[in-house]
Amino acid sequence: MRAVCWHDKLDVRVEQVPDPQIINPRDAIVRVGASAICGSDLHLYGGFVPGMVKGDILGHEFMGEVVEVGAAVKNLKPGDRVVVPFPISCGNCFFCRRELYSLCENSNPNAYMAEKVWGYSPCGIYGYSHLLGGYAGGQAEYVRVPFADVGPVKVPGGLTDEQVLFLSDILPTGYMAAENCAIQRGDTVAVWGCGPVGQFAIAACYMLGAERVIAIDRFAERLRLAATVLGADTIDYTEDNVLEALKELTGGRGPDACIDAVGMEAHAHHAIAFAYDRVKQAVLSEDRPIALREAIMACRSGGTISVAGVYGGLIDKFPAGTLMNRSLTIRTGQTHVQRYMRPLLERIEKGEIDPTFIITHRMRLDEAPQAYRMFRDKQDDCIKVVLTP
Amino acid sequence: MATKRNLTRADRIGYAVGGIALIVWALRRPSALRTGVAGVGGWLLYQGYTGRNPLFKPLGIEVNPQPALPEVAETLVVEEAITISTPRADAYAFFAQTDNLPAIGEADLQVLREVDGEELAWRATRDDKLMHFGSLSFRDAPGGRGTIVAAHLEYAPSGGSLGAALAHLMGRSPQRLVGDSLRRARALLETGEVATTRGQPTGHR
Repeated sequence: MRAVCWHDKLDVRVEQVPDPQIINPRDAIVRVGASAICGSDLHLYGGFVPGMVKGDILGHEFMGEVVEVGAAVKNLKPGDRVVVPFPISCGNCFFCRRELYSLCENSNPNAYMAEKVWGYSPCGIYGYSHLLGGYAGGQAEYVRVPFADVGPVKVPGGLTDEQVLFLSDILPTGYMAAENCAIQRGDTVAVWGCGPVGQFAIAACYMLGAERVIAIDRFAERLRLAATVLGADTIDYTEDNVLEALKELTGGRGPDACIDAVGMEAHAHHAIAFAYDRVKQAVLSEDRPIALREAIMACRSGGTISVAGVYGGLIDKFPAGTLMNRSLTIRTGQTHVQRYMRPLLERIEKGEIDPTFIITHRMRLDEAPQAYRMFRDKQDDCIKVVLTP
Repeated sequence: MATKRNLTRADRIGYAVGGIALIVWALRRPSALRTGVAGVGGWLLYQGYTGRNPLFKPLGIEVNPQPALPEVAETLVVEEAITISTPRADAYAFFAQTDNLPAIGEADLQVLREVDGEELAWRATRDDKLMHFGSLSFRDAPGGRGTIVAAHLEYAPSGGSLGAALAHLMGRSPQRLVGDSLRRARALLETGEVATTRGQPTGHR
């Protein structure tokens, strides 16, 4: 089959590789109908995530048709159309039973690596470094899905592949980002980053009762999408001072909650602030927490910072004093996708949200190298790329 | 509590001899550089005296100078624990199968003690030479959260604590082997299989 393989920083290739086989009794093989490139794939593409090995198959957002199931998979059969959550979760362990699926204790074969870096290991993730298991991903024609009796959700016939594809990651991720804000009626939420997760976080904030959402980015087309489709207020951080603007927009108090939908590769309008973090990222492999710092400074006292953007390692200049003295709460985590898939599928069926509004590019799997480059450089107003084999 | 000792007797002799050699070398023709070297020598000598190298402390290396089995003069100690969401009887029954014990390296295992539901102890030999000995203790996790299985292994040091430290840095320490073995047990008991990527496709490595 053909698959998108990581080779080096800024080097992904479409290669011929062997078809995946059932290895464990709870496995299934899925023929991929559609996959997507995630903003977090760009961290791999940029070489910012440790534990990648030449030849790793990428992709953790995918859906398709079951073609084979292992002996222990009773709830799926060949021909079922499914969307697959990015966390690989056993459904049996302490964490899975508490619906903390991305913390599954039994799905990361390389748990010892993660323990060295992070203290304890989270779950395995498709195509997301050997630190998280080294599983082959879904930007391919076929993919092996472990614990297939727990993760995949069957898709009703009336919905298109594209309508359900984002249940695999970014729609639940945006939703959990909003849920972590503990929104009360009348709340104002500020969202850093208007990529796909940011857009879905904005939508979810309104679903959960936010009065007002303020979207922060530097790309006009993303801000336009947030304003026109979702009804958010917008701040272009290349034009305005974000802290000042938020203060004004919130009557001098600050947003009740702040969402960081940016993560480790943030940009800053101030060339010096950006250069400081960029150099340290290159030399010391530190993350670039520009959005997170700003979100903490901007949040109203007693408010909540919800971190959906991905971080991998260490940061510095972390405003701990602000956090402590102003009673701020930070909530974060890789998304417990399985917890949100069915309720969000229902919302899609009812027409409450059509996640396809973020798709800007539809390309063939073979065009993945161009797609990665375009997405990274935000060429052609690229927001979300969907790949079909 | 005093810091645990992490140097073997052989290590301590080496540290003392090395430390003295550096100091003697420095005293023969004193200079600023050699004064620094003498300082390092003094530090080694001190570590030889206390039996503790602070640089190894983060690696969790522990030497037991008085092991329970008389066949070895001293041992390196490995302690790992895991919580498994399964009743104590099931966890015990799993490890009571000798193949499932978290042994390290290729060796013949002899079970020394079996206390039903509470303890399993074994020794491992190769060509009648003791390689390691160990025990598992079983107790209920608080709040009905399953069973805590605690492993305690001791093995004869080869290469001293420096060897143990290098094994740590290479990711091949006995700690990792025991930890992986306990994780495998948890996976089998909780899910019926062990997560793996062995046999999956990859591109050109």
